[in-house]
Amino acid sequence: MYAGPVQDLIDELGRLPGIGPKSAQRIAFHLLKLPAQDAVRLSRAIDEMKARITFCSRCFNVSEGDECELCADPRRDTHVVCVVEEPKDIVAVERTGEYHGRYHVLQGAISPIEGVGPDQLKVRELVARLEPEGITEVILCTNPNIEGEATAMYLARLLRPLGLAVTRIASGLPVGGDLEYADELTLGRALEGRRRLE
Amino acid sequence: MRLQRLWLTDFRGYAAAELEPAPGLTAVVGANGQGKTNLLEAVAWLATLSSFRGAPDDALVRVGADEAVVRAEVVADAPARADVGPGGSEGPGGTGRLVLLEALIRANGRDQVLVNRQKLRRARDLLGSLRVTVFSPDDLALVKGGPGERRRLLDEALVSLAVKHDALRGDLERVLRQRGTLLRQAGGRATPEVTATLDVWDAKLAELGEATGRARAALVDRLRPATSAAYDQVATASASVTLTYDPAWRRCDGGLGAALAAARAEDLRRGVSTVGPHRDELELVIDGLPARTHASQGEQRSLALALRLATHAVVTDVTGSSPVLLLDDVFSELDPDRSHALLAHLPPGQALLTTAGPLPEGAAPGLVVRVAGGRIVDGGAPGAVAAGAGTGVV
Ligand SMILES: Nc1ncnc2c1ncn2[C@@H]1O[C@H](COP(=O)(O)OP(=O)(O)O)[C@@H](O)[C@H]1O
Ligand SMILES: [Mg+2]
Ligand SMILES: [Zn+2]
Repeated sequence: MYAGPVQDLIDELGRLPGIGPKSAQRIAFHLLKLPAQDAVRLSRAIDEMKARITFCSRCFNVSEGDECELCADPRRDTHVVCVVEEPKDIVAVERTGEYHGRYHVLQGAISPIEGVGPDQLKVRELVARLEPEGITEVILCTNPNIEGEATAMYLARLLRPLGLAVTRIASGLPVGGDLEYADELTLGRALEGRRRLE
Repeated sequence: MRLQRLWLTDFRGYAAAELEPAPGLTAVVGANGQGKTNLLEAVAWLATLSSFRGAPDDALVRVGADEAVVRAEVVADAPARADVGPGGSEGPGGTGRLVLLEALIRANGRDQVLVNRQKLRRARDLLGSLRVTVFSPDDLALVKGGPGERRRLLDEALVSLAVKHDALRGDLERVLRQRGTLLRQAGGRATPEVTATLDVWDAKLAELGEATGRARAALVDRLRPATSAAYDQVATASASVTLTYDPAWRRCDGGLGAALAAARAEDLRRGVSTVGPHRDELELVIDGLPARTHASQGEQRSLALALRLATHAVVTDVTGSSPVLLLDDVFSELDPDRSHALLAHLPPGQALLTTAGPLPEGAAPGLVVRVAGGRIVDGGAPGAVAAGAGTGVV
């Protein structure tokens, strides 16, 4: 235990994802040694982000206004929606340059361990978008882990009866990965999901 | 598969040690508490990424050090392919490929693993580079302990057979945790949301559970004759040994999915998953009687050893390469007849054994390594720093 404000900061940092008690302590003492203006710059960046950035009212991506840039872009195909867990996944899909539809950010995945069920996700909001936006295809782009797979399965069962085309991304090998050291499961799935080269 | 050379830095009591095991049998000798088991533990860690004593990583790092390093040169039996991996080279004799494995074991759990000096993205990707079969006095629990011990025997053998089983096991455990948590959270009430989510976990559990059941059943079919044969070799009296893996859910029409549906109400009421591969039993029977409750202590020891040797034989057979056999302190538990029988029937390939007492009659190790006070005092690698200090007993 340290003097009040230091301990408060350690506790706050320790709540962040991927930061354990030891890292929290190290960061706190680093900040303590920082010149005042550097520390203020960091806290102002956090303030600014919280004040100016919200979530898009349509797709729940991060957004500076009510609607995010992607939803506001008239060139995007409004009939297709790609469902992802987090805003950072949009960045990953956008980098491919292969996708031109809209997105929907669930803000997580089904995980009872973390207290997250469908009600804690933006699932109802997704269903509400379908008709007004004339969505005909939903691509489930959740992570290829247990929780992401379960979420995709849940959504597929929910959406298919509504007469939509529901697809799931094929899980394959990371490009640039070394086939020899690729784990067998990934390699196996990639083989199962293989397709003919045109 | 052969361990050609082993280096330890700050592993357990070893500040630095270097060892060049014999191609056949190596005996590690020394008084109790000197570091015999620690040597085998280091080898096994490279093969399984865990301690066979169940010790957490921070217990493996020498007190006062930040990380332990275990490095090994392993010669694979398979002939080298044209496209050997980065830095791959031919082993001595031109057969088998020489692979350098390195593990940095950190007290904080952020382990780092390298193959031929290339960092692996995940430590798990090391699995399969080295395979071991471990037999230790604790293995009596295979026969006397609960069903979990026997499931672990099967599941660990499956990972040795094919690395994909490690991911299957991890996924299955995760699904069971998620499903169990959901059942507890539901508090006995099947709301539409609980039902819809439970359906998804059931589908996942059915898929992974069926795969696990199929793999276990196929393994037990191979282990059955192998265990019988091994038992006849190590036991002092002949007996009929049977292994049965036949969980009720596998006999259910519609498989695990149907069994889960049938158990849904009960699962919700009790807040646990009452059906599935996590409840499976591998029944062991000697001369018609359950080994756990009816066999003598001697019979139980023979059966535990026979199960390990059978696993070793099956893995050797399926992979075409024999794992390194690690026998920790086995003679303290086996009577002279069984010890003798074990040595007489040691499977071909490489083996390392430890003993605090004298070697049983008839043991002819290719190398005797003497350890004392966390140092290899005799029989270490030629020219190694650790062994250079002297050849006498400290
Ligand atoms: N993390 C560690 N740091 C330093 N010494 C250790 C550590 N873990 C175990 N040891 C030492 O190793 C000894 C046990 O070695 P072990 O190989 O189990 O003995 P044995 O020769 O009886 O098999 C203990 O006496 C202890 O002093
Ligand atoms: Mg020991
Ligand atoms: Zn948007």
